[in-house]
Amino acid sequence: MVVLKENNLLNSLSQMGVGLGAKNQAFELLKELEFPTRKTEDWRYTSVKKILKKKYVQFNEAEQVDLSNEIIPSLDAHNIILVNGVYSKELSDVNFPDEVVIDTFPNAMEEHVSLIHSAFNGIAKNNEEVFTALNTSYFHEGVFIHIPKKVKLEKPIHVIHVNTKSNVISNLRLLIIVDQFSEVSVVQSYASLNAVECLTNSVTEVFVKENAKITLDKVQSEEPNNNLICTVQVNQKANSIFKINTATVSGDFVRNGVNIDVDGENCTSEMNGLYMQKGIQHVDNHTKVSHLKPNCTSFELYKGVLRDKSTGVFNGKVIVAEDAQKIEAYQQNKNIILSREATMNAKPELEIFADDVKCSHGTTTGQFDEEALYYLQTRGLSRESAQALLVQAFADEVLDKVDSETLRIWIKEKLD
Amino acid sequence: MLKVKNLHASVGDKEILKGLDIEVKAGEIHAVMGPNGSGKSTLSAVLAGRDEYEVTAGEVDYLGKELLELNPEERSWEGIFLAFQYPVEIPGVSNINFLKTAINERRKYFEQEPIAAKDFLKMVKEKSTLVELSDKLKNRSVNVGFSGGEKKRNEIFQMAMLEPKLSILDETDSGLDIDALRIVAHGVNTLKSKDNATIVITHYQRLLDYIIPDFVHVLYDGRIIKTGGKELALELEEKGYDWLTKAKA
Repeated sequence: MVVLKENNLLNSLSQMGVGLGAKNQAFELLKELEFPTRKTEDWRYTSVKKILKKKYVQFNEAEQVDLSNEIIPSLDAHNIILVNGVYSKELSDVNFPDEVVIDTFPNAMEEHVSLIHSAFNGIAKNNEEVFTALNTSYFHEGVFIHIPKKVKLEKPIHVIHVNTKSNVISNLRLLIIVDQFSEVSVVQSYASLNAVECLTNSVTEVFVKENAKITLDKVQSEEPNNNLICTVQVNQKANSIFKINTATVSGDFVRNGVNIDVDGENCTSEMNGLYMQKGIQHVDNHTKVSHLKPNCTSFELYKGVLRDKSTGVFNGKVIVAEDAQKIEAYQQNKNIILSREATMNAKPELEIFADDVKCSHGTTTGQFDEEALYYLQTRGLSRESAQALLVQAFADEVLDKVDSETLRIWIKEKLD
Repeated sequence: MLKVKNLHASVGDKEILKGLDIEVKAGEIHAVMGPNGSGKSTLSAVLAGRDEYEVTAGEVDYLGKELLELNPEERSWEGIFLAFQYPVEIPGVSNINFLKTAINERRKYFEQEPIAAKDFLKMVKEKSTLVELSDKLKNRSVNVGFSGGEKKRNEIFQMAMLEPKLSILDETDSGLDIDALRIVAHGVNTLKSKDNATIVITHYQRLLDYIIPDFVHVLYDGRIIKTGGKELALELEEKGYDWLTKAKA
């Protein structure tokens, strides 16, 4: 156990050697990097001051914990459990098809050293994002997922992360490689059990090889008073499909970064997000899709409902490189604000260097449709249930993007 | 059933209803006709409880209750139904689910158990047949992607489901072709009983060929300036409103 404070951050975390040189490089980088301030463009509306002020404790051993609330009973999945940032072999499922790898880096290194070396940290932006560098240097053992060529994993992989002690810092690291013609669905859920003031710093690197397909569903439902930074780095090769759905249910500070490099033709990329905020919750969604090759399509739909004094940020960037012709990129961000004290900052950005593209973006932030409320009231719905019905309808548009009905119902229950 | 006395209502600074009186008894059908801007839609909105309209004077007694004291949902629970001139599209809210919620909220108001799924489905089947509303439309989002005629049929379907005591049809004939008009009128006529009443608000006489009123009122400049039997509608169709409004002016 190590205590982490802002001013002695670098000296106080213990580094786990997993034989990855990248860890040391990131460690060196950290000495020079600075934490973002409100002057840092990408963090303009999100202050990390509060998180950095706190003291944290780092765990290096998984403890036993009752996960009955976090395992989705009706979801037949390979459950991979991380407790306070540490992989638990006892709690995790180890029965999956032989050719599939789901293991910690130290364990996986024995057989897959070259594969891991070729991919690990390949797309993580350590030099740009201090929280990524922090993650790279301090993550415990991480989780490596490899779906080899032409394998369709029938069951989804559910990576459950749970903090069980207050003031914990969890650096979670996932590397997912979906090889040619393979298909997998991964659910990443973030929860806490009677734990407050934690900082979870999660980095997921995803390599989607030629003709592969992956769906990543993120469910963020830590208790209030917890802080979550989630970074997803994706590299897509030709004819691949990547889809991410992020549902933010709770957690007082949530920052999501999704960065996709579409590095092959005929790819489809889809990003959807739903944030239902209350209290003093702050949720920041930053997405960036870089179309580097022609003939690809990207879809993006982020929707939020903000109550009380909550604040929200949406920043969606679409970049189309000079030679990336025939790109279709659609982006939408819609927000409903239900309180005078709630704030939303929305910023769509298009940077297009090619001339033959179809791109659209739009953002709306408003209140309820009064016409619709009145209509429902004249039919005998109380104002409250009419509002609830409209919120549900608003959220359903995003929830419907979640393919698994079981998962969709589970998220809905968490939202209620 | 409904007694409106000296009703004055405004939107912003503009007074629209200027002392309107009307009395409707159970079993009756009343037509309220009048030129554009006479206050027809304001009357329906005030009766249904839209809060943009401010009632500055007058009273409305509905079955012994002060109607103006009730909010829109309470009016609905007490048996008032407004068929909208422009039914609202509500994406993502299923037609059937919201009706079930509506019915159950009213049952809760009267301290009754929620409706059994089987009874509800039976009712849906029966009432949708009445206005020839297809299964596809019933299950879709409220009014989304409905044609003009389908929207009006959906209004009457909702009316049938909610079994109101007093129905107000606000320009239900606008934008309807003759077949849709027949279907809508058939629905309204079938639902008519000695215990309920209907106010048909319309610009044209056309709808009254199918829904035969007991009384016809002419609304002009915020007041009822003439009341007669169904033949008054025919007279209006023939002569227009000028002979009445000019006499008034």
